Amino acid sequence: MKVKSPKDFWAGLMFMGFGLFFTVWAVIYYQMGTAVRMGPAYFPTVLGGMLAVLGLIVFFGSFAVEGPPVPEFSYRPLILISLGCVLYGYLMKPLGLVGATAALVYVSALGGHEFKWKEVTVLYLILVFFSWAVFVKGLTLPFPVWPEFMGY
Amino acid sequence: MLALCASTVALPQDWPSRPVHLVVPYAPGGPVDLSARLIAPKLQQALGQPVVVENKPGAGGNIGADFVAKSSPDGHTLVMGAIATHAINPALYPKLAYDPVRDFRHIALLVQVPNVLVVNNELPARSVAELVALAKRQPGKLDFASGSTGSTGHLAGELFKQMTGTELVHVPYKGSAPAVADLLAGRVHLMFDNLASAAPNIQAGKLRALAVTTVRRSSFLPELPTLDESGLKGFEMTTWWGLMAPAKTPQPVVDRISQEALRAIESPDLRERWRAMGSELPGVRTPAEFTAFVERERKLYAELVKRSGATVD
Amino acid sequence: MEIFHNLYIGFVVAVHPVNVMYCFIGVILGTLIGVLPGIGPVATIAMLLPITFNLNPVAALIMLAGIYYGAQYGGSTTAILVNIPGESSSVVTCLDGYQMARQGRAGPALAIAALGSFFAGCVATLIIAVAAPPLAEVALKFGPAEYFSLMVFGLVAATVLAHGSLIKAIAMVLLGLLLGLVGTDVNSGVLRFTFGVPELSDGIGFVIVAMGMFGTAEIIANLELKDQREIFTSKVTHLYPTKQDLKDSWAAVLRGTALGSMLGILPGGGALLASFGAYTLEKKVSKHPERFGKGAIEGVAGPESANNAGAQTSFIPMLTLGIPSNAVMALMIGALMIQGIAPGPQVMNEKPELFWGLIASMWVGNLMLVVLNLPLIGMWVKLLTVPYRYLYPSILVFMAIGVFSLSNNAFDVLIMAVFGVLGYICVKLECEPAPMILGFILGPLMEENLRRAMLLSRGDPFVFVSPNKPISLAFLVASAILLVIVAMPAIRKKREEVFVEEG
Repeated sequence: MKVKSPKDFWAGLMFMGFGLFFTVWAVIYYQMGTAVRMGPAYFPTVLGGMLAVLGLIVFFGSFAVEGPPVPEFSYRPLILISLGCVLYGYLMKPLGLVGATAALVYVSALGGHEFKWKEVTVLYLILVFFSWAVFVKGLTLPFPVWPEFMGY
Repeated sequence: MLALCASTVALPQDWPSRPVHLVVPYAPGGPVDLSARLIAPKLQQALGQPVVVENKPGAGGNIGADFVAKSSPDGHTLVMGAIATHAINPALYPKLAYDPVRDFRHIALLVQVPNVLVVNNELPARSVAELVALAKRQPGKLDFASGSTGSTGHLAGELFKQMTGTELVHVPYKGSAPAVADLLAGRVHLMFDNLASAAPNIQAGKLRALAVTTVRRSSFLPELPTLDESGLKGFEMTTWWGLMAPAKTPQPVVDRISQEALRAIESPDLRERWRAMGSELPGVRTPAEFTAFVERERKLYAELVKRSGATVD
Repeated sequence: MEIFHNLYIGFVVAVHPVNVMYCFIGVILGTLIGVLPGIGPVATIAMLLPITFNLNPVAALIMLAGIYYGAQYGGSTTAILVNIPGESSSVVTCLDGYQMARQGRAGPALAIAALGSFFAGCVATLIIAVAAPPLAEVALKFGPAEYFSLMVFGLVAATVLAHGSLIKAIAMVLLGLLLGLVGTDVNSGVLRFTFGVPELSDGIGFVIVAMGMFGTAEIIANLELKDQREIFTSKVTHLYPTKQDLKDSWAAVLRGTALGSMLGILPGGGALLASFGAYTLEKKVSKHPERFGKGAIEGVAGPESANNAGAQTSFIPMLTLGIPSNAVMALMIGALMIQGIAPGPQVMNEKPELFWGLIASMWVGNLMLVVLNLPLIGMWVKLLTVPYRYLYPSILVFMAIGVFSLSNNAFDVLIMAVFGVLGYICVKLECEPAPMILGFILGPLMEENLRRAMLLSRGDPFVFVSPNKPISLAFLVASAILLVIVAMPAIRKKREEVFVEEG
């Protein structure tokens, strides 16, 4: 059988995956209870089951109905943007606002079409200053500004 | 008026040398957070360094408490440890990452608020005795609301059930506000709510208050009997919180903060705000007494939680 | 008559220079934090609470209120400009508002959002003034059974949000429902799907999911366009709405205002449904529903009016009964209690200047907001012409800092990145995020109320449709009808498709 609608093919799989995961995890780890006294597993199991069923329908539908192909994935922006955000979060404590913002700006800029060192650096400086002014000074949020080894 | 004088060992020369972080293990705006923000400027004045409130909410307060337990004990990180983080959660969460007594220095108990037993106006019970009689006639029919499973409201209800031998059904809510709403509408029958938030409704006559959960009567609502007076001998439950620090924080630092904190809450303006929260000045005055207090509370709730069967896993 | 007397007292208080100043500060601050993704009115009000201790209660309340409804104005700005919903109520504005921005019509979108919000704010304030106590009583009539039925209705309506495949929309709703269940189960206290991670024990934050699915995903999707075409067409058509725009929108504004005013009163979740409900309503009554999701101005006018009306009427339970409808109201109660005022039924009588002063200041505040925001539109539109390679890192920085500031926890930013990836995948597979978000919000509420209703009725499932719970019954019947209405065209279309295949 030929897959006629790749988008639905993968979407169906995704839904089935999520649905089964929730259902199975809930059944194993939490108590079901009864229909009148529902336990913590009840809702996730039922909903997960429904999701899995819908996923199945979508999956089989992908063999029956024409659909457009899945557009190409661009891994570079995907990975770099995500990485940039994660770095921001985890570098905040050790490297302070200055370091975390640098990581985010430079890494995410690499995910774009062009990367000119001077431009990105100017952008970084503006953003760091703005973040400091608005969030640390203005809203008195307790972010460390400088890296730990430089003291407070 | 002041707490016991500090020990003769000198303070570390350069403490505090940078801003002090007061971690509040709850989201901004709650009573613990508000009291932290009220006391921070006073401490700042007394210690000469900024005192910054840092919210680290989550897991019923455990994230913030754990964070401070593992922080550097140099006197620059403090936490508002509460009954939830230091007495109840250790019993509720089987794998808690910190020990409430051993991993902390308990500096100063700041707030102690009683809970009050309120019932819906339509309920045919005007005293604790009548309520108990009603409950015994209709086992399993009366519902009591609480702000969450494992909250003081819930556990107060459980203790009440045990001591009176009645069967009430626990209905948990997400926060006490929706619980109060259902209580007002009569969808649930009774609740152990904290004094400050229940008082307006009591005074407006929308809810009927039967008793307070402390052994001493509240100066806020002095006509209310205590549960202890009403036949539940020894019933004592308060919601409390206070300043704590990591276990190895030096004694002189602990003593100094304790001194300043107690002085702060005795100042006229904070005293006023504390009263608005329903809190009397705490009876526990020194760090050592506070530690003993936490130990007692921990034991009490360990027992209660086990008997109530409440669990998080 | 009494109400004129009360309004007079109120206005005298509201136009007092000190109060006007605090109102102004409040709305400016509110707009600013509404625009900044992540930072919301809750955190800001909490941080400003100590300052209010030294103010008199009226000024304090006026300022805090200004921050709250000001944030609604600001939240729609980011939703329209960069597809990032600052508040849960702005999610729906992203759907058509952002598309309008991409077509060069950010100006009209922003203008209609501001004007609609202003109208709604004024009407809702009037409603508070006239009918607060009786409306509060209506709010009290909503128990768990009624809430459950309302949520069911909301979920069925959620499927209308989608403009693609109905089955996939329902699946996304289910996915959102399931993700919303992560965290502590209210009824049993058990931690679900947290895998031992303490940060998950209170669930995944809505702001984080929204920013990931809408914001980050959108940026990644934009970056993959290989050519150098600017994301936002630099050909900006008008700065202000055309006559046609106004003609299309005014009915939506009216409907949104009505819906928002009613739903805002319900503590816990009512106001959220207002904007979603308004969008669904607009799509269903429109003669050209296929325009929705592609830049239909009614899709901005209706929800924006609804969420502003909801923001105003959500004060009612707090002011009349002392019950907070949401976290912001809880903070205001805290602010009042610290001042020694216990919010509750007697406040209206014992402190009329506080009650009516606040109400009157809401008009003042809304007026200030529309006067502030309209001229700013030019500036915002200019901002969109900044080359995207400068714009997107800036957006990311603001999102990251906003999310991080929620709990000072790096884990939250990680979750945002994860949902960014999920959002990107969903874009590729043509699965729409909006139904998922709605499911995410409503899911836990629905389950909580279902189980509580069953607990209170001791296991009687017919409690939802019993005749002495007319509200619950009504919503369930409405859900069934709506389900049929929604499913019919889809079934018909599928049958056509199948016939075409075979033919």
